[in-house]
Amino acid sequence: MVLVLALGDLHVPHRAPDLPAKFKSMLVPGKIQHIICTGNLCIKEVHDYLKTLCPDLHIARGEYDEETRYPETKTLTIGQFKLGVCHGHQVIPWGDLDSLAMLQRQLDVDILVTGHTHQFTAYKHEGGVVINPGSATGAYSSITYDVNPSFVLMDIDALRVVVYVYELIDGEVKVDKIDFKKTTTASHSAH
Amino acid sequence: MISDGVEDEEKWLAAGIAGLQQNAFYMHRALDSNNLRDALKYSAQMLSELRTSRLSPHKYYELYMRAFDELRKLEMFFKEETRRGCSIIDLYELVQHAGNILPRLYLLCTVGSVYIKSKEAPAKDVLKDLVEMCRGIQHPVRGLFLRSYLAQVSRDKLPDIGSEYEGDADTVMDAVEFVLQNFTEMNKLWVRMQHQGPAREKEKREKERNELRDLVGKNLHVLGQVEGIDLDLYKDTVLPRVLEQVVNCKDEIAQFYLMDCIIQVFPDEYHLQTLDVLLSACPQLQPSVDIKTVLSQLMERLSNYAASSAEVLPEFLQVEAFSKLSNAIGKVIEAQVDMPTIGVVTLYSSLLTFTLHVHPDRLDYADQVLGACVKKLSGKGKIVDSKATKQIVALLSAPLEKYNDIVTALKLSNYPRVLEYLDNETNKVMATVIIQSVMKNKTCISTDDKVEALFELVKGLIKDLDGTLDDEIDEDDFKEEQNSVARLIQMLYNDDPEEMFKIIGIVRKHILTGGPKRLPFTVPALVFSCLKLVRQLQGQEENPFGDETSTTPKKIFQLLNQTIEALLIVPAPELSLRLYLQCAEAANDCDLEPVAYEFFTQAYILYEEEISDSKAQVTAIHLIIGTLQRMHVFGIENRDTLTHKATGYSAKLLKKPDQCRAVYACSHLFWVDDQENMKDGERVLLCLKRALRIANAAQQMANAARGSTGSVTLFVEILNKYLYFFEKGNPQITVSTIQGLLELITTEMQSDSTSPDPSADAFLASTMRYIQFQKQKGGAVGEKYEAIKA
Amino acid sequence: MNYLIGAFKPSCNISITFSDGKSRKQVPIKKENGHTVMVPLFQSQENIAGKISIEPIQGKKVDHNGVKVELLGQIEMYFDRGNFYDFTSLVRELDVPGDIYEKKSYPFEFSTVEMPYETYNGANVRLRYVLKVTISRGYAGSIVEYQDFVVRNYSPLPSINNSIKMEVGIEDCLHIEFEYNKSKYHLKDVIIGKIYFLLVRIKLKNMDLEIRRRESTGSGANTHVETETLAKFELMDGAPVRGESIPIRLFLSPYELTPTYRNINNKFSVKYYLNLVLVDEEDRRYFKQQEITIYRLQEETS
Repeated sequence: MVLVLALGDLHVPHRAPDLPAKFKSMLVPGKIQHIICTGNLCIKEVHDYLKTLCPDLHIARGEYDEETRYPETKTLTIGQFKLGVCHGHQVIPWGDLDSLAMLQRQLDVDILVTGHTHQFTAYKHEGGVVINPGSATGAYSSITYDVNPSFVLMDIDALRVVVYVYELIDGEVKVDKIDFKKTTTASHSAH
Repeated sequence: MISDGVEDEEKWLAAGIAGLQQNAFYMHRALDSNNLRDALKYSAQMLSELRTSRLSPHKYYELYMRAFDELRKLEMFFKEETRRGCSIIDLYELVQHAGNILPRLYLLCTVGSVYIKSKEAPAKDVLKDLVEMCRGIQHPVRGLFLRSYLAQVSRDKLPDIGSEYEGDADTVMDAVEFVLQNFTEMNKLWVRMQHQGPAREKEKREKERNELRDLVGKNLHVLGQVEGIDLDLYKDTVLPRVLEQVVNCKDEIAQFYLMDCIIQVFPDEYHLQTLDVLLSACPQLQPSVDIKTVLSQLMERLSNYAASSAEVLPEFLQVEAFSKLSNAIGKVIEAQVDMPTIGVVTLYSSLLTFTLHVHPDRLDYADQVLGACVKKLSGKGKIVDSKATKQIVALLSAPLEKYNDIVTALKLSNYPRVLEYLDNETNKVMATVIIQSVMKNKTCISTDDKVEALFELVKGLIKDLDGTLDDEIDEDDFKEEQNSVARLIQMLYNDDPEEMFKIIGIVRKHILTGGPKRLPFTVPALVFSCLKLVRQLQGQEENPFGDETSTTPKKIFQLLNQTIEALLIVPAPELSLRLYLQCAEAANDCDLEPVAYEFFTQAYILYEEEISDSKAQVTAIHLIIGTLQRMHVFGIENRDTLTHKATGYSAKLLKKPDQCRAVYACSHLFWVDDQENMKDGERVLLCLKRALRIANAAQQMANAARGSTGSVTLFVEILNKYLYFFEKGNPQITVSTIQGLLELITTEMQSDSTSPDPSADAFLASTMRYIQFQKQKGGAVGEKYEAIKA
Repeated sequence: MNYLIGAFKPSCNISITFSDGKSRKQVPIKKENGHTVMVPLFQSQENIAGKISIEPIQGKKVDHNGVKVELLGQIEMYFDRGNFYDFTSLVRELDVPGDIYEKKSYPFEFSTVEMPYETYNGANVRLRYVLKVTISRGYAGSIVEYQDFVVRNYSPLPSINNSIKMEVGIEDCLHIEFEYNKSKYHLKDVIIGKIYFLLVRIKLKNMDLEIRRRESTGSGANTHVETETLAKFELMDGAPVRGESIPIRLFLSPYELTPTYRNINNKFSVKYYLNLVLVDEEDRRYFKQQEITIYRLQEETS
């Protein structure tokens, strides 16, 4: 069981003051093995905070990030899964699943994590899974109205990944989950 | 020289201990054989070691402790003797035959203890006699230890109410008299030490005095534990007598220590009820006494008392504690003309904490305290003492912590006035404290006047205060500060758009004074606040009867334009571009075409004139294209103009791969899914073809430069785009178009001159798989894909 | 005890016993040879009665010219040793001349003997009471036997006993007021008082109270005074300041005191003084001496 936290688009401090308190109390150091961040933190403080949750931190560059040296895209392997992360402002049209699927093919990953739209989505297709963890702070977005703070926790176990999405709606944390299985490592054929 | 002295002392102590132990040995033998005469003889000899003048208090204590232990055994023996028939009264006389007074008195106290226990005489009589007889020792150190011994052995034998030694109606008074008497004499001896010896050894003497102070203070502790002392007795007798001694001894060290003792030992309720008396003693103390610490201690205790239970609060009101303390502090400050700033601030800080605990609802009191502090500080200029500064920060933080709500603190009119006295550095510190308080308590500040007041308080962070030197500022600290200001801006909010607009106005006014260094941090925060307001107004019905002055998105966009313009002086073109595009999108959502166009124009100007770094350009282009792709508000002319420019920029990017990608991204500008009139298949294909040409050129360049072609990735990307539009139903993209590109790719990959590229291979492979999937889907999609040979 | 004139073996044993020997209180006295013996205690005006037994040794016969017993009260000045001045001399003839060939006892009595002075052993003078038995013989020398006894006289509580209160000092230096609760103290009394410091400008180290005995013998130009400090009692340790009051409580019982003797038979006096001594840091001594009267208090009948 490997826990991977996926989150992004916090936009601290320009659009939001901080991570919601209820999220902060849930995210405890030492419980998560990897963090995948879609970018737009935007400041070092947030980076440092995430580092305290888990030292294995992978960040893709968002257009408002203070740190300009984050990569545009990043891939990593966790267990049997290949994961890719990219902020998403580079993929036009923004939020377009087919265009994102193209990036997924290009990076050759089972799971693609992107952000930018501040809207949680988890999309399963033949090539794999595209996940958008939304905005962890519920930051303003020109693309999405009424953004609720959200983040994703992936539980990777052999060929199965369970995606838990945590959303803060009207002050309460609501959880949903989606299951994905890949058939074999070689053929990349997903369900 | 001094070390010789210490060495000598060690020798003397060792000799003293040896003598003591030897006599103790013989004493034990006498005790074992019930030989009273020898017991007295050897115990007196043993106690003679305590007659020494050669030891400092610290070392004398060691000797004393050993004697003390031996005397316990002797006491037990005396008790046994009385059981064997020896008269305690005779014994009491017998020990007084000893020729040397110090051993005599130690023995007398020891017998006295047994005498009291025997109950053959009232405790008060024996105690009175003992405390009187001890006058014979006028030597400070020896006297202090002797009387300390007396205090020790008498401690559990006071004629207190409820004790087995309780006497008649005046029993408590007797106990009190005894302790007070001993205390008074001990204090006199202690004070006397100050003036003994040469002036150059004053420091040493004071150190020795401090070592002995608890001997004196112990008496007060004993008083504190006498059950029979009630408030009346304390008020009428105990406190006045103790204070009398404290005031009359005219000794700085004693006064400071004993005032503190009084405050710590006796219950807080007593202090409240005797506040007048306590406070009136303060001005009578020596001017060099650190009275501010004493008063601060008192107030701290009373604050804690108030905080401990709400039931005690009425008492505070009843004794008018606040005004008494206020006045007392005023008087002390007046009397001690040379009191340093830290003294003044500490006092007011303690008073404020007190006020916050005792009268949490009386903002006027808190304000009064701050006002008084300001008054006393006036004329002193800015505070430079770092300790005083820390105290002021503590003073100002107290209301924040107590009220948990910056809004309440904002009501304190004197609060900003105190800030005036802080230097720039501390002003910033305070501003940070205030912001942290807001953030911690998640306070939402919701009116323009409160926002105005708040920004006044934190102005240290908002702008350069007079006299700030640039090079003093640490970059990381500065960033942190400005980020906190940005966070603060997020906390300023009101549901009512009119109010919110006012707030925005105030914030804007302030942050624009921040100068080029601060704007990149503060402007974005304000911009997004504005955009949130715009969105809120968007949702509302346009009020046909709305008057001229009401807030509209248009007005906000006007403001936004001017605000983002301010970033010109930084300069921050990349940031400005992003913000303009955000505004454009918002304007788009409000159907304000000219506004949106204006924003795009500004963005384009920035792109053309200010953004020259190639990487920055790539991102900028993606943002431009991405935003433009979503715009639906533009008419054909405007859209065409903007699209044309965008494509132009794309083609002129520095690196060919970037060009290629930007250009094929532009293809989406001509195809918007949810708008039928926005699907121009031809121009899409034109874009893609152009992208292809660029990709080719890139290949050739790579060939020429390295002797091998570069990656075919670009081709695969374009292929994917072909498939995208093919699926969307762009008639211009046919199977043969796709087929052709596929062949091109395959050729390229198989060519000898191509260096292997696994990622390109994988990309192609996954693309091929995709095609297969689509074929297998069946239905309309499957049919489409069926024709492709792959 | 036999007191031999010659170096011959004693020819008889003389023993002197008192009729109330068993019930009468005995007190120790120190003999010249250093030994301590217990002897009976009498008061003035008491009857001294008893029995003299003479027992010849081993069948020897004692020829004598008469047997008598004398009660002597004697004062001996040490500068004039051996020269006893008898201030009291009483005699009882016990037997007419004859022989004693077997134990013979003679009862004796001295009634209501005036013994106004107490037994005293001093530095330069002693006063003693003794029973002297003499068996007169001509050429062989008289046989003499002595028996000491002690006389002590008691006084009642004085009707007037004023306290001693006085202020003394050295100008601008040291002013004290001392107070002793009585001027007359009995042997088992307590001196209670205080020393009050009115002015202290010198650095005192400590303060003692001494009891001094002044024995003066002789008269006129030949007066010889011997002073002895019998008690040195520390009253204060350390330096007082103005306004301090130091208590005095000195028990007289531990000390070898006698009552005050004034002009005993015009031969000697024994007087007592309290000597208050203050010592400063340079070991300079300041003192004030004050006479007190000591008497022997009538004891409660026990």
